[in-house]
Amino acid sequence: MAVVEGGFRSISPAEFFYKNKEIAGFSNPARALYQTVRELVENSLDATENYGILPRIKASIRELEVVPEGAYYEVTVEDNGVGIPPKYVPRAFAQLLFSSKYVLKQSRGMFGLGAKMALLYAQITTGQPAEVIVAPRGSKHVYGFRLKIDIGENKPVILSFSTTSNISGAHGTIVRLVTLGDWIRSKQRIYEYVKRTAIVAPYAEILFRDPEGNCILFERSIDKLPPPARETLPHPHGVDIETMKGVLKSLADKPIAEVLVKSFQSVGPVTAQRILEEARVDPEKISGELSEQEVESLVRVMRSYRDVKPPRADHLSYLGEEIIVSGLKKVFDPEFVSAVTRRPSVYEGHAFIVEAGVAYGGRVPVVEKPLVLRYANKIPLLYDEGSDVVFKVINEKKGIDFKVYGIEFPAPLVILTHICSTKIPYRGVGKEAVADVPEIEEEVEAALREVLRELRSYILKKRRELEEVEKAVEIAKYIPEVARSLSKIYGVNPREASAKLLEALNSKLRSFKIADLDSVVNWDEHR
Amino acid sequence: MSTGSYSTRADLRARERALKVLYERFCDILKDVMEGREPKLMIKRRTLSNTIYDPERKLLLLGDATLERSFLDSRESRKFMQTMLMASIVHEALSQGEYPTIRDLFYRGKHTIRYRRLPSKAVGEENTWDEQAESDSVLRDIEVFTNVLREDMLILSKEKGKVVGDLRIRSGDDLIDLSKMGHGAYAIEPTPDLIEFVEVDADLVLIVEKDAVFQQLHRIGFWRRYRAILVTSAGQPDRATRRFVRRLNEELGLPVYVISDSDPYGYYIYSVFKTGSITLSYESERLATPNARFLGVMMTDIFGSRKLGKKPYLSEEERRSFIIRAKERDVKRAKELKEYPWFRSERWQLELDEFLARRVKLEIEALVGKGLKFLADRYIPEKIEVGDWID
Repeated sequence: MAVVEGGFRSISPAEFFYKNKEIAGFSNPARALYQTVRELVENSLDATENYGILPRIKASIRELEVVPEGAYYEVTVEDNGVGIPPKYVPRAFAQLLFSSKYVLKQSRGMFGLGAKMALLYAQITTGQPAEVIVAPRGSKHVYGFRLKIDIGENKPVILSFSTTSNISGAHGTIVRLVTLGDWIRSKQRIYEYVKRTAIVAPYAEILFRDPEGNCILFERSIDKLPPPARETLPHPHGVDIETMKGVLKSLADKPIAEVLVKSFQSVGPVTAQRILEEARVDPEKISGELSEQEVESLVRVMRSYRDVKPPRADHLSYLGEEIIVSGLKKVFDPEFVSAVTRRPSVYEGHAFIVEAGVAYGGRVPVVEKPLVLRYANKIPLLYDEGSDVVFKVINEKKGIDFKVYGIEFPAPLVILTHICSTKIPYRGVGKEAVADVPEIEEEVEAALREVLRELRSYILKKRRELEEVEKAVEIAKYIPEVARSLSKIYGVNPREASAKLLEALNSKLRSFKIADLDSVVNWDEHR
Repeated sequence: MSTGSYSTRADLRARERALKVLYERFCDILKDVMEGREPKLMIKRRTLSNTIYDPERKLLLLGDATLERSFLDSRESRKFMQTMLMASIVHEALSQGEYPTIRDLFYRGKHTIRYRRLPSKAVGEENTWDEQAESDSVLRDIEVFTNVLREDMLILSKEKGKVVGDLRIRSGDDLIDLSKMGHGAYAIEPTPDLIEFVEVDADLVLIVEKDAVFQQLHRIGFWRRYRAILVTSAGQPDRATRRFVRRLNEELGLPVYVISDSDPYGYYIYSVFKTGSITLSYESERLATPNARFLGVMMTDIFGSRKLGKKPYLSEEERRSFIIRAKERDVKRAKELKEYPWFRSERWQLELDEFLARRVKLEIEALVGKGLKFLADRYIPEKIEVGDWID
């Protein structure tokens, strides 16, 4: 979680979000429990891997009391992350839309709401405060908070604060809250979420304990972290009026030319001059004084301005082939696995990277049609598959023809796609499906075809090997007969002739040898 | 070698020769195996495309295309095994003084191989061969490969052909007078090369396709009156009959005439005597009689021919009662014959065209219907005398 000092502003009151809780995924107790676990776990992953720490996360749900709408559950998520400094804790956890400046950064959280929405929902439904314990990295102390949100004012309320000494030197964060949920109705969803998260975070150790007392542990299978996401300035092609207004407001007292250079990537003084000229805006004009029309004109020119470098992608945090392979191996124990990370690409001024993986055979469940694990910015997308760009690419009628790749359904096949970008073009408010933006569709298809090609070579190789085994038997089964025939005409020892024939056969086989002829064919000595 | 005490000297010699050739021809396979090479049999292909008509010698011969039957090729391994199995059975039969038939060879070699499929390890069962067609086929391959015919390997087959005439032969250790067969006839033995011609007093050989007509001609003493060796193949000629006729022609210098039904099947029987058959083209060189003449029954015998200035042997009324309407398959077969190189002569094309135009056929029996005397004393001698035959 990136918290930067200076210029904090409350854009919108907590109340607004509570009234519109569906948007953030808290529409009913079942969905709320799932969303709570999810937000807290994602916070923990961000607090670890972005700082070079191999994550160790424990999440647990405990049922406290059954109520008519469901039950009250205590949700606890513990990590070994950096642990934010205690002075930021109240705001970070109990003030909504707390942000500093207009920079872009790929992160798991969808609204910058993170755990705050979970805390808000818990407080409204159970009236109980949240407990946050932090031990910042290198800190000699462990800090404990009991927090509430003042909904009207959108301000944190600290109910209690404690300090103990950090004897072990451990670092990390524990968040515990009591919320209204419905385990029975969210069980499957939560397990699916944890499993899918573990697939793309094989570098994490994740322990989950459910209210029924069951535990599931995903052990770490790789010690490598994905490259951390870094902040970047927006690219001129991706700017919209709202962003532009925000940018202008943040540097309201500076000349517009200087603001453009400071706030956008790939824009130097010369480019700024040219853009402003084309937009008919005086470069010297103080940015806070731009008229509505000038802002619109400026945005229009910037979005279509040709002479700039494409958006940079080096700030994106992709998983990488090694991590995808490790994750798929760990969870599915497949016979074959392959992954690809495509080169960065751009849509509407936003850089993005598409990755794909495929696991085949072994313990991969056999499916009637392609099963795709979709991810965006490392978060699993569990619903709304039908309207996702990936679904379009693998659509039975118009999409990729799996037969071309040697795959006939039902097949033990699982496919993984990951799209990472500072701006994922989600479809609809559910944010469970990525829109079919042509550039992204193209990349997804190219990535899938790439991994499927590798799978095809494997399948073909395996098929060839199998054919060779079958052919070898086709020949070996006749060896005793041929040897006996030679022995009848020439009086040679049939066992010796047969050993020679087997030797000749084996020397011709490439992927397989028959060690013992008796394992293939009966000698039938009395003949 | 434990040959039975009753074996004739001719048989003993044949056995020794066949054993030697078999031993020598398969020796390369033994060497390949024992020296760790891939064993391969190079055998001339017995396919229609490798069957060539030699217009000079008037023979159907096997071309030079060979097939490579490698044991280590999964598509060929079964055939390879069957070929080796057949070679060993024939070898065994020869060395034990036996006279197997092709049916015997089929049963001797037939047994079940039990094996495990991999990787499933499921148990599979397979017979060395399932049908006699399979064992017959590899036997033909061995004949081609060793250049020894089955008769010379003392493999017997059912006797089908019969012969009578003023001819004395030695078969085994016995002297047989073919003019003293009573109402019966001498059944041509399956190993005609072991027959020795001792004495002959005849001017020609007449082959009658139909056994019944053969008997009728025999009973009225046709062969005595016309100094003929009378032979019947009783339908499609077997190898022994063909070889025997060939020897009559080649060694005794007797002209050979064939009479058969007047339809494409009858014509083809004649051509099998004369040029050989497609399936057994490798044997033509020894079995065919290129000089054999087709005496009848011809289409032009029935209808006459303005082109040839030939009058019909049958009246309008006789035709009406004797001829049969040709079936669809007869027409189809006639069209095929028209395309065979050995039916390409003008004379044959005329007969076939006539058949296709009239779409009728006639059996030899129909001529007997006109009177046995007509057949024996007019039709046959007259046609031979005026040379109304097709070469």
